[in-house]
Amino acid sequence: MRIAHARLTLELHEVRQAAGAPLLLLHALAGSSADWGGGPAWPGAVWALDFSGHGRSEPVAGGAYTAELLAGDADAALAKIGPAAVAGKGLGAYVALLVAGARPDVVRAALLLPGAGLAGGGPAPYLDASPEPLEMTDPAHTFERDVRPPEYAASFARAARRILLVEDGPEPPPWWRAVRPPGETVAATDAFSRLAARARG
Amino acid sequence: MTVEPDFPGAVPPERRSTVVSAGLRLGCLEWGDPAAPPLVLCHGMWDHARSFSVLAPLLARRYRVVALDARGHGDSDWAAAYSWPSDVRDIVAVLGTLGRPAHLVGHSKGGGQATDAARVAPDRVRRVVNVDGFGPPPFGPEEPPAPAQLAKFLDARRSLAGRNGWRPYGALDDLVERRRVQNPRLSRDWLRFLVFHGAREAGDGWRWKADPQMTHWTGPWRPEWIALSHAHVRVPMLAVVGSEPDTWGPLPEAVLGPRLAVVPNLTRVTILGAGHFVHVERPVETADAILDFLD
Repeated sequence: MRIAHARLTLELHEVRQAAGAPLLLLHALAGSSADWGGGPAWPGAVWALDFSGHGRSEPVAGGAYTAELLAGDADAALAKIGPAAVAGKGLGAYVALLVAGARPDVVRAALLLPGAGLAGGGPAPYLDASPEPLEMTDPAHTFERDVRPPEYAASFARAARRILLVEDGPEPPPWWRAVRPPGETVAATDAFSRLAARARG
Repeated sequence: MTVEPDFPGAVPPERRSTVVSAGLRLGCLEWGDPAAPPLVLCHGMWDHARSFSVLAPLLARRYRVVALDARGHGDSDWAAAYSWPSDVRDIVAVLGTLGRPAHLVGHSKGGGQATDAARVAPDRVRRVVNVDGFGPPPFGPEEPPAPAQLAKFLDARRSLAGRNGWRPYGALDDLVERRRVQNPRLSRDWLRFLVFHGAREAGDGWRWKADPQMTHWTGPWRPEWIALSHAHVRVPMLAVVGSEPDTWGPLPEAVLGPRLAVVPNLTRVTILGAGHFVHVERPVETADAILDFLD
């Protein structure tokens, strides 16, 4: 379905209908909702969002793709589907962390999975040197890593510590270490069943 | 229609042009000999290129002066979203149209972004001048932590759905009054000039040109993050501040000193008798300080 985020129009895919607490899936940098296929085993409805400029969602005129803007995308999806568990890969994991910290009343539990764009806002000044492309070199399609020291991400991890599950991957970004102590580490094989258990409280 | 107000020393731009950056059209105004070495001016939040109407002609005695309207401001396009790095990219895009490296001068937000543009595009920038663009004072303990700040930002994003402009004001002087509350040091004559060029008159009244979406800017931020960026500026930088108490300045030396101490090649000037709008309150002294530094 089409949903609005301020002036942006986004695609929120209903992967599976079911009674029970919903799950919102957030894809990685340069990915789309299609990456989740039929979705993981889940005891409720499953939704997958296309972030701005990805999949069937509208590009952001003029660029300005930031993790905080994408958090607005995820928040617009949550406004539609109500309280939910959230799982994100890479950039989607970083966005899930932001939304879990900012919206404790709406995010029941959050699962952070490794993947592209996990650095999120990034720990150091960074611009243009080697942009991670969404659609290659056009700056209108460049995800921006603003100056966000690891403590920034850590403050969200502390705020969400009771609902955070993380799956370790190779070469985690600096903020990941700050997330691990509050978050519970899970294995890929049972990550979603653990997420469902955590979402039930 | 309302007649364009005069202001002493203000000179209309000699040329207008448009630069396209990331698909957005940015309005640019020019003063001075087109063959002279280029100098780019970057205005602050809620301002526009005409806010340099007094400073620009003073600098144009020696330079081709190009003042851009930042995205979402003045006669530039509104964007779907805003971020600090995308504003910086716009400045770099304007620099790329000049054919050779330029001097870069910015005020307030434009000063901070000019400094960042000098960091990321040192091949396009000869020297950078930052006029009181060193951020607000440090946040106090009452400032909510980042997750609560993001929640406020997300609430604001939700409230933006369907809002595409400002409500109209009945008269230009209503806008002047609104701006006077924010910048009490600025004279009514200057504000009338500034606001005339920062608003449009339509059938139902006056509306700001600037995009209301910028009210909520880009989410959580802390002033101490400025130093993370400024430590990497390699071109020579002039820091200009005023001496007089204003909206958030002058910053005490205990705050400003450490923010500037990280800049590798720094010159500092304080303009006596000026507040935050140094170039508006003391244009001649500000121009002299800038020209001295650039020579």
